[in-house]
Amino acid sequence: MKKDALKAITNAHAWVGLIISTILFIVFFAGSLSLFRDNIIAWETNPHFSSDKNIEAFNVDEIITKIAQNYKVYDHGYFVIDFPTKDHPITNTYFEELSVDGEHIDRNLLLSANGDIVGHGDGFNWGNFLYRLHIDLHIPEVGLYFVGIITLFFFVALISGVVIHWRKIFSKFFQYRKEGKKDKWLDAHNIIGVMGLPFHIMYAFTGLVFNLLIIYQISYALLLYGGDQSKLFAAAGVVDVHQDETNVDLPVTGINDLLTTAKKSLGQVNITRLSIDHFGDESASVTFRGHDDSKFSTQKEVTYHIQSGRELYLTKDNYDNNLRGGLSVIASLHFGNFAGYSLRVLFFILGIGTCYIILTGNLMWLDKKAKLRREKQNQLGLQLVKAMTTGGFIGTIFATGVGFICARTLPLDMLSRSDLISQIFFATLFSALIISLFIKNQSKFSALLLKLTALTLAATPILDWLLVSKGIAAMLANQHYDVLIVQACLLCLALCCWLVSAKLFDQQIADENPTDATTSDANKLSYSAQ
Amino acid sequence: MWSRTFAGLIFGLLISISVILNLNLTLPIQEDSMLLIGLLLAFPIWVGIQVWAYSFTESKKAWLTLFWVFLPSALLNSLLLALR
Repeated sequence: MKKDALKAITNAHAWVGLIISTILFIVFFAGSLSLFRDNIIAWETNPHFSSDKNIEAFNVDEIITKIAQNYKVYDHGYFVIDFPTKDHPITNTYFEELSVDGEHIDRNLLLSANGDIVGHGDGFNWGNFLYRLHIDLHIPEVGLYFVGIITLFFFVALISGVVIHWRKIFSKFFQYRKEGKKDKWLDAHNIIGVMGLPFHIMYAFTGLVFNLLIIYQISYALLLYGGDQSKLFAAAGVVDVHQDETNVDLPVTGINDLLTTAKKSLGQVNITRLSIDHFGDESASVTFRGHDDSKFSTQKEVTYHIQSGRELYLTKDNYDNNLRGGLSVIASLHFGNFAGYSLRVLFFILGIGTCYIILTGNLMWLDKKAKLRREKQNQLGLQLVKAMTTGGFIGTIFATGVGFICARTLPLDMLSRSDLISQIFFATLFSALIISLFIKNQSKFSALLLKLTALTLAATPILDWLLVSKGIAAMLANQHYDVLIVQACLLCLALCCWLVSAKLFDQQIADENPTDATTSDANKLSYSAQ
Repeated sequence: MWSRTFAGLIFGLLISISVILNLNLTLPIQEDSMLLIGLLLAFPIWVGIQVWAYSFTESKKAWLTLFWVFLPSALLNSLLLALR
């Protein structure tokens, strides 16, 4: 490759990396935590409702009868029940209620393993909040596509990074120079980048498929299928088993029998969810969905007409469609659900490693700009990047720590509890960003904020044991380790924050204030002389 | 930098759609498999074009080169769609 082209790509790599850095950091950090989304949801919920009930006692017909007695389920809306598992005995049901005023109210109820309605699930959304932060930053309508564009440029930064580093990719594979902070950052950036490359490419690609698939969907529908989207959906294996409503009321019963039939029809399957269409109408149908744990990524599904028990649709292999099968594999790779905890721990470490790559990228850029002559420096730009790095990066981790504390301490019966936690998260993040914009000594502020973040993260496990120790003990007695898993994640993050503060920023502060260091060395000498 | 970014974004998208469309219209592969192959190839093509756009030292050259790459593929699209 020509020298000029390589130089242009190197500049572009730094520029792209810098522009996407804050959003990418938030996406990767929230995504890394979202690998343990089920554990976080269980960490927040289960200590309050811990149940040792046998999941075999989960009686769907009884649950549906209870719901139908207490709520007017909207028959044109959705009705979903997630099945409990041995690891997650508390589960949810979601449906639309038709109010007296004719309004549709979204309901999310918590179900115990024996099918009792134990509470409302809306207040326990911290795990889902982090997941949505990962996929769309909680920006309505366009957030998904915005994160998609950021992911596209992350992919660009990866490929351009490989192009830049290609000639040294093998010869300098393990190079890590301890002397000189820029060399150290560059080597850390390259080592983690190269070692995690397959992981990064997988995440960039699968993330793009989730967030920007619609672009190709629209172009396929327009160019290949003459604007007929239904033809595209048919080719893509989207199955419509819709039955016309008869408007004749019929109570929903016999689901337990249909569940037994579904298990026989689907063979090796772990049924995770059921959904009912046209709840309470004669035309109502029930769909059971699950996956085959013995295979990498095989989804199975069967739909029955409830009244007659007639089978309307059955698939034992990803809707018998290669595109759906491929998308299922892509989803499994992204969520890391094709193996046990060890894989998720590995993905978590690599995810946090990516956050470190983003951080070192910004630090190298700042270091390079700081060395320019003052008249060549863009002071506003420099301060903005410093604020993005300090307030944006550390602020995100700090806000997450605050979110965990709120999720553990706010009263359960508080109205809009989950909304309040989200507001506190964003208020903390934006406060960190704004404060860092006006702070002159960024290194000191970073070191302080990181240490404060470490303490905040470490406070959650302590609060857990102080506030819900009985619930945690009951969970542990039933071999449910979600709380311990979340606590381990938080303590690891706390340790990382403390170490980065001590090793990276304390050193930087010492470098920036050599006079202080000399004075303190002189003091040490004088003390030792005394 | 912004100009090369938009050159890569726009032509990367157009070239990826166009190349995948040509593959769809020419290769005798099952419809669902072809959609999957298209999906697997489309994003890497887009990203590759974006990186290529950044390798130009002048943005005008990036726009022109990418246009000349897109044009024959787009003409082939038109031909294949007309013959369909």
